[in-house]
Amino acid sequence: MTEDRHNQDHGERAVSRRSFLKRAAAAGAGLTLAELFAFEPWSLEAAEPVVIGDPFAIFPDRGWEKAYRDLFAPDSEYVFTCAPNDTHNCLLKAHVKNGIVVRISPTYGYGKATDLHGNQASHRWDPRCCQKGLALTRKFYGDRRVRGAMVRQGFKEWADAGFPRDAQTGRPQMDMERRGRDGWVKLPWDDAFELAARAYLDVAQTYSGPEGAAYLTTQGYDPDMVEAAHEAGVQTIKIRGGMPLLGIYRIYSFYRFANGLALLDAHVRGVAPEEALGGRGWDSYSWHTDLPPGHPMVTGHLTVEFDLVSPEHADLVVMFGMNWISTKMPDAHWLAEARQKGTHLINIATDYQSTSNRSDEVILIRPGTDAALALGCARYIIAEGLYDEANVRASTDLPLLVRMDTHELLNARDVLPDYQPAPLSNYVQIIEAGQPLPPGNLQDSQYLPSALRERWGDFMMWDRAGGSAVPITRDQVGERFHETGVDPALEGEFTVRLVDGSEVTVQPVFGQLKRYLDDNFDLQTTSEVTWAKPEAIESLAKQIAAARGKTLLAHGMGPNHFFNADLKDRAIFLLAALTDNIGHLGGNVGSYAGNYRGSIFNGLPQWIKEDPFDIELDPAQPARVHSYYKGESAHFYNYGDRPLRVGDKNFTGSTHMPTPTKAMHFGNSNSLLGNTKWHHDTVHNVLPNIDAIFVNEWWWTASCEYADIVFGVDSWGERKNLDATGSCTNSFLHMAPRSPLDRIYDTKGDAEVTSGIAAKLAELIGDQRFVDYWRFQHEGREDVYLQRIFDESNATRGYNALELEERAKAGIPALMNFRTYPRHGGWEQRNESKPWYNRSGRLEFYRDEPEFREYGENLPVFREPVDATFHEPNVIHAKPHPLITPAAPAAYGLDPSDLSTETRQVRNVMKPWSDLKDTVHPLSAADDRYRFIFITPKYRHGAHSTPVDLDWMSMLFGPFGDVYRHDSRMPWVGEGYLEMHPTDGQALGIDDGDYVWFDADPQDRPYRGWQEGDADYEVARGMARARFQNAIQPGVIRMWYNMYVATRGSVRGARERADGLAKNPETGYQAMFRHGSHQSGVRAWLRPTLLTDTLVRKPFFGQDIGVGHENDVHCANGAPKESFIRLEKAEDGAPEGGLWRPAQNGLRAGYESDLMQRYLAGAFYEA
Amino acid sequence: MAEVFNWQLGRDMQYPFEAPRPKRQIAWVFDTNKCIACQTCTVACKSTWTSGTGQEYMLWNNVETKPYGFFPQGWDVQLLDRLGVVKWDGDQTYQGQTIFESAPAGERVNGWLPMAQDWMHPNVGEDEPAGAVERGTYLDRLPHDTWFSYLARICNHCTYPACVAACPRQAIYKRPEDGIVLVDQSRCRGYQECVAACPYKKVMYNNETRVSEKCIACFPKIEQGYQPQCVTSCIGRIRIASFISGPDDLDPKRPVDFLVKVRKVALPLYPQAGTEPNVYYIPPIHAPREYLHQMFGPAVDEAIETYQNIKNDPELLGLMMLFGSTERIMHSFSVDGEIATGFDEQGEELVSVPLREPTFIREFFDDVHEAYLHNIT
Repeated sequence: MTEDRHNQDHGERAVSRRSFLKRAAAAGAGLTLAELFAFEPWSLEAAEPVVIGDPFAIFPDRGWEKAYRDLFAPDSEYVFTCAPNDTHNCLLKAHVKNGIVVRISPTYGYGKATDLHGNQASHRWDPRCCQKGLALTRKFYGDRRVRGAMVRQGFKEWADAGFPRDAQTGRPQMDMERRGRDGWVKLPWDDAFELAARAYLDVAQTYSGPEGAAYLTTQGYDPDMVEAAHEAGVQTIKIRGGMPLLGIYRIYSFYRFANGLALLDAHVRGVAPEEALGGRGWDSYSWHTDLPPGHPMVTGHLTVEFDLVSPEHADLVVMFGMNWISTKMPDAHWLAEARQKGTHLINIATDYQSTSNRSDEVILIRPGTDAALALGCARYIIAEGLYDEANVRASTDLPLLVRMDTHELLNARDVLPDYQPAPLSNYVQIIEAGQPLPPGNLQDSQYLPSALRERWGDFMMWDRAGGSAVPITRDQVGERFHETGVDPALEGEFTVRLVDGSEVTVQPVFGQLKRYLDDNFDLQTTSEVTWAKPEAIESLAKQIAAARGKTLLAHGMGPNHFFNADLKDRAIFLLAALTDNIGHLGGNVGSYAGNYRGSIFNGLPQWIKEDPFDIELDPAQPARVHSYYKGESAHFYNYGDRPLRVGDKNFTGSTHMPTPTKAMHFGNSNSLLGNTKWHHDTVHNVLPNIDAIFVNEWWWTASCEYADIVFGVDSWGERKNLDATGSCTNSFLHMAPRSPLDRIYDTKGDAEVTSGIAAKLAELIGDQRFVDYWRFQHEGREDVYLQRIFDESNATRGYNALELEERAKAGIPALMNFRTYPRHGGWEQRNESKPWYNRSGRLEFYRDEPEFREYGENLPVFREPVDATFHEPNVIHAKPHPLITPAAPAAYGLDPSDLSTETRQVRNVMKPWSDLKDTVHPLSAADDRYRFIFITPKYRHGAHSTPVDLDWMSMLFGPFGDVYRHDSRMPWVGEGYLEMHPTDGQALGIDDGDYVWFDADPQDRPYRGWQEGDADYEVARGMARARFQNAIQPGVIRMWYNMYVATRGSVRGARERADGLAKNPETGYQAMFRHGSHQSGVRAWLRPTLLTDTLVRKPFFGQDIGVGHENDVHCANGAPKESFIRLEKAEDGAPEGGLWRPAQNGLRAGYESDLMQRYLAGAFYEA
Repeated sequence: MAEVFNWQLGRDMQYPFEAPRPKRQIAWVFDTNKCIACQTCTVACKSTWTSGTGQEYMLWNNVETKPYGFFPQGWDVQLLDRLGVVKWDGDQTYQGQTIFESAPAGERVNGWLPMAQDWMHPNVGEDEPAGAVERGTYLDRLPHDTWFSYLARICNHCTYPACVAACPRQAIYKRPEDGIVLVDQSRCRGYQECVAACPYKKVMYNNETRVSEKCIACFPKIEQGYQPQCVTSCIGRIRIASFISGPDDLDPKRPVDFLVKVRKVALPLYPQAGTEPNVYYIPPIHAPREYLHQMFGPAVDEAIETYQNIKNDPELLGLMMLFGSTERIMHSFSVDGEIATGFDEQGEELVSVPLREPTFIREFFDDVHEAYLHNIT
């Protein structure tokens, strides 16, 4: 019977082999190897049985083994670059059989990487890949590939009708509610480009001029936002390339497009080039909330970090909420190998996580209290005299004097008559306004605008030797400070006479900071605040102090994604500065979230900011650069397309002010819509106000679900445009070589999309420059643009892009030519006494800008989390302190007792812990079922949401995977879940494996204005499996961030489809939840200290220094990781009712059978 | 039944065949202290061999989190329950019965057949510790009181395979040239006796082809001098695959011999089953000893002590740095000062790595290429 069946099967399949392959290629069905295997000769089963006695002595015909050899042997191989947002960007080798990529492997080329000087990396960097990269075979051919240019029917109808708009408001006469429910039409590419171009022209025309501004006002936008658009309609067009470092050509092409929109503005408004404006370019790093916003507050630079090989050179590695094992997988071995050599690893986390099990010590803390822990350690180190005094005096602002009357730093001009700021010579040049900077590769110093230099003057220290205040310039750092011979006081109160004759008291920052720490962060208080044991805090502090210059302090997404993230950065830097752990190989601070360091290609303005009115068409010449587009944080869009206006104040600095969002186009960026923070609110409340939404994608994500046009682009395996990428965690330069694989579908490269739309704009407005701006792209010579970038970037000048492509084709990257290998931020500052990118040149802990003083954060204080706390949220932990005098809520016209989520963001309320600990979260006060901190960290199975819905990933993503879906309620072969301490589940009557509902603050989640019975409420309310987890602290609920959200279409699918999949019947979108998502619990938050116009910082690219907003540097940052929720049971774990089977079988935490208990105890062994 | 010598048990034991040792035996060492459970090995294997119909659930290679992770459900709980409490005579000799010796009357192996649903949830228990944490838990020493650890598993290509012993059709054989155990896909009739017999549950039944299949040790690669897919894709650099000498031989230049027989830092998993598995594990230093003894036997203490002293053992340290540095099978190695080198069968160098990654400081101005070099650009 069986044999007959097999023979018959084989016959059928043999006949259909060719058609199968064709079908696989055409329909995108993943190539199933069993079907290929079935064509191999061994499936022609031997008819005659062979009788064998001893299988060790006599073997049957082993000819069948050939089948496996044939299966393994590829027809061809090629190398491509995998580019998710995980900082690795591995070169991978694709193995091709019958024209189809059947498997992927590492290249083992990293040990062959060299720099321009002949230095070479070692093979200890190999192999580089991960499960997500190897699973791409399932994605290249998966059924959710976007197969061309897709247009939503409702949008097409609106466009076909000529974009009709309401005469009063200018709103489109289009049913916005059809988004997420609509049908789709595949258009020829040319038509899709034209459609997008026409839409842009319409938006630009509609919202330009006084009439355009009037429309925006009528539509209800904040007046400051309307004003920020300057009556230029193109300013309402928002463009975003995802993490652009991941493809500096293709992804940054979006920003070039934004810059080129100045041509459209010149046409629409009839203005001259010098008055023309481009679009708005949304941020990247800060949008993902990956930016550690306190790093620029301390250093003026977006982030300090070190290559992940560095544990080799450290004695101690302390990880604050950085799950290195799960999120830096190809570089996890450096930790383990350092540990083998004696490096001690301490893991500070909110749960016993993957990195905990690879660490020597584990300290669990209350979520969001990392800053308090660091401050507690700092207090201990100071109190015990364990700090490095010389480093504190030479490299930090702690000896600077602060005026006790104004709380500003004492300036030499306050005290010394006619004081002129000293000439500066330490790695700095003063420039005049408008003075051009040298090209990036020749920038040999910081460039400081003379107006800023003038404004800053010089700060002062109290010289104990001379008994007077003396000026200290920003030159005088490190060894240069020691050469001054100044012996600054760190504590004490002194009186100085000002130039007007009056006297004021001044104190060194150090003394005032010490007072704050002593008042609020003794061991016992720190322990109560953080939950960490006093002995854990003491031991941690002692070990860091002992490993002076040899401690790596790494922090990551956990604490980065809290509202108080900047305070955590300032506190960790303080701890590091006290122990001289900044700027050393093996002794440094590092923040690890996202792959943000596009600035390693600091010649990128050559590509993204070429002047569209003055285009360079000689491929051998550099471009002339002029920035017409303006950076803006996408957080405002996410926040309801509003600025932070609370009470009677707009807390949004003018340099940060967003414009209304009327059109958007983004690529490589599901985080901007499909997995955006507060996703369900964005869908319900924000999208209806946006006229046109365009997405570049190669996989049908939730972003595509709600878009108007989806441009299907090439997968990473079939790119036809040369590209390059680098990393913030290693020194490799990866070219993305052009792929020999034929395009699987009717797709294009990202830059072909942006240039294609531009070409249609050229036709529409009759401006050839829209074509010329992309000339080399149209000619297939993108290497011209890449070479321009390379030539002007410090670390790549000297490389030839085409030569590097050849190396990459062999699987070999190049090494970036940074100052050091490995790269570690701050090396020059610490080892060559160069200034940081700020006012004092020092590590700055005191912020005397007016915003910081007003908000009570001039000192590095600790604030309670804004939502994820059992106590009154966002309170500043402080006893009365002479320097902490914030504006109270009443100052903004707010009721002091108003703790609503909006108000909470701007409340500057101080309380000592002794008072604060008795307060409760406002939700708990009203409903005691609200009693769980909800955190949403990232995990090993996803790099953002990139691969998580692939079958192999989903089935391995935690405990609920089942590739056969025995339980048809499962949305997919794996699903989202939330994790709790077993006792928390038991107390709520929830069992392991049950489905539960979870609700956050009903004021605004899952979206503002929700009501029971609304169709969108069914989509948005969070439901997931419950998992009992011994790793989770009581009172904390963990839910992984990466899962695909439920959409209007997926909910319909789960309800209507025979198979029960949460899959949109129209689009094929596959959700990992039946209802809601992790985003049901979180929302957008805006933080006033990140919206200042005064913070001094280096811009993203280059060595100059400026102030105020800068995308990805000083910018709104969100808080997607914290919330406060309640849980209730929804359904039993077993489909037939009752316990989930593994729990029933006694194998789960909290349900252990006697046998399982003996197993756990090791009882099956007797010594 | 024949009497065969199982060196891991320190004694002769009963096995249905004489089972002469193969000419060469492929063997693996996995350092559990480096495993990060990324499942890259799992996907490398799956994408190479089991991406087809009937194979959806199959993971010839899997990584599970101990103690709550199993694939299939409860597999080693079941194994231990069948074998009972294990006793060893000192560190040397196993006193209890193997799965062959304890087989019920009429059976060759004391095994059990998982139900289809036991193969569900292949990553159940992922990152789940034993010992619930409390608020502010502080683990200040090894082993951890709250703990989990990752266990990567493939077919052990045992010296005395239970699958071979159990197959009523003799469709399973052990290759004499490398010791790889294969299920002959043309002879197998899908009786699943091997599935029931394997103590590690590494033979799996294909409901589409109606025959059983298992890890083939990537023999097409081994035949060409390359390590298997799960090894060459291991980004934790926890694995090495090479040949192990027989019980009476030892060559300290051979990597597996050095780790298993010289330093004795790597141990077989549940050796009491009696199959003499050829995957050796460096035990996790942070897991409680009671559990590790149950898992790896009495030699755990010495292995952990040796491992924790690696920094003072340049030869062992050097070999550890070579893990993952080459795709090829390393037949021998040497450590000379700060450099560790691996060699192929002919003694040709495959790869050299430094014990510490080198550091370079470049000149501030590269006058050849006209660029100032910075760490912050």
